[in-house]
Amino acid sequence: MSELMRESLSALMDDEANELEVERVLARIASDTDLRRVWVRYNVVHSVASGQPPTHLELDISSQVREALDGDSRGITNLRQRLVRPLASMAVAASVAATVVLGGQQLAQLEADSYDAQAIASSVSPVGMVNSLGATSVQASYGTQGMPELQPATRTAYQELARQRLHKYMQEHAEHAALNTPNGLVPFARVPRIKE
Amino acid sequence: MIAPGLFFLRRILFVGLAAAALLTAVRVAATNCPAGDAEALAWLDKMSRGIQQVSYHGVVTFQRGDDLQAMQVSHSVANGVATERLTELTGQGAEVVRVNHPLECVHPGHQLLQMGDRLQAGECGVADYYRFSVAPGELVAGRQAVRILIEPRDMYRYGYILELDRETGLLLKSAIIGRGDKVLEKFQFASLSFSPDTAADGGERLVHNAQHPHPQESRLAVGPAGLPWRIDWLPEGFTATDNPSAAEERRTFTDGLAVFSVFLEFLSGEIRPGEGVIRNGGTTSYTRGMHLGEQSILVTVIGEVPLNTARMVADSIAGCAGPC
Repeated sequence: MSELMRESLSALMDDEANELEVERVLARIASDTDLRRVWVRYNVVHSVASGQPPTHLELDISSQVREALDGDSRGITNLRQRLVRPLASMAVAASVAATVVLGGQQLAQLEADSYDAQAIASSVSPVGMVNSLGATSVQASYGTQGMPELQPATRTAYQELARQRLHKYMQEHAEHAALNTPNGLVPFARVPRIKE
Repeated sequence: MIAPGLFFLRRILFVGLAAAALLTAVRVAATNCPAGDAEALAWLDKMSRGIQQVSYHGVVTFQRGDDLQAMQVSHSVANGVATERLTELTGQGAEVVRVNHPLECVHPGHQLLQMGDRLQAGECGVADYYRFSVAPGELVAGRQAVRILIEPRDMYRYGYILELDRETGLLLKSAIIGRGDKVLEKFQFASLSFSPDTAADGGERLVHNAQHPHPQESRLAVGPAGLPWRIDWLPEGFTATDNPSAAEERRTFTDGLAVFSVFLEFLSGEIRPGEGVIRNGGTTSYTRGMHLGEQSILVTVIGEVPLNTARMVADSIAGCAGPC
């Protein structure tokens, strides 16, 4: 997969894609296995972060389309909002397109490649807090393949994890920024709490 | 319901194709480094060298959203070494010092900005990744400034507005500009004096001696070494700020204006894959749980880069079966 494609895909995930990038992904996703694979992986990760089950993997195309156009379900508040945010709308259009080209067999294949669903379902987080917050994963049946459904608690846990890591690593990052950018020691002002 | 959807998709395709044609034309023109950039690059060169040569002290403000911090900075040069000090006037009140930094020690980020003769030889340097323009600046801390507008050429970095002292090239004010011309953070001198700082500080405060990671520095192994790993994708123009071993848990990269660090933790158990993001001013902190083969890892990318960049770097991390 080309760098340009990765770039377009990632932008699409963040609703930051421009028209050209949306077009690029739409044109290629049907024929490019690598692109589909990365798309699925980005989406799984993204869905976890937004506390939603990875709905883009569902094969019920009609409901996807209805959701995109009616905009009355999960996360999409109303049609007007969708229309005034054209980039977001395009991302939805693109995920509908991605759903269309993912056949049952392909999905099973991609799913197996992306991660081991069984392992995740029975996972014990080394982070501790994921489980302590009551995150549970349940198996939703998907033909032959198990599909983990992640609870919003996982999102909360990752958010907390990101916050802790920012505190843990910011100073070490600032050491490098102070020596390699024109601001002198000013990057240390970004450190939440300076340690000796 | 289906008909409007199709119409919508078709419209996207049409707009996309038109944009494609336009962008191709722009890309071709951008490949040679335009004359307009040369003046800006010369200013950046002066700024980067000036940081080492000029003695000054003053008060700097640092603003992120509603949060405003103030700090005292001083920089003195004598006998071929520089001593720097930053004292927070708000919040924690901590102090960071760097004593006796040799002037000839130029770190990778500054090497990228100090084009010197390479500029005359027609090299573009950072102008390959950013588009520059120079404008007359206003007064900053009572000094006449020149304004350098810096726009990224790709989506992997932010834009900047730098205001430099016309006389010395000292960076007086800088802002990081995100999507939609949004100012993410801003620092500027409120007062500035070009003389060594004479104020002796008796206050009790936490003092941190800044470290000195450098590519040529010989390194001591820190902690138990993890598995060797590598990063398969970096945005164009980013180079390592030091020389870590293949198993070290941190890597840092710079393009001369932006810096980001990648931290990797090897976990003993399983992790539920996912991601979390904290954005604070120009800083993105992206934490991602994933697998390297059988091994669960937690990757954190911290830096003054967009979320896209952080996610793509994290996504490209791979283990090394043999040597990295």
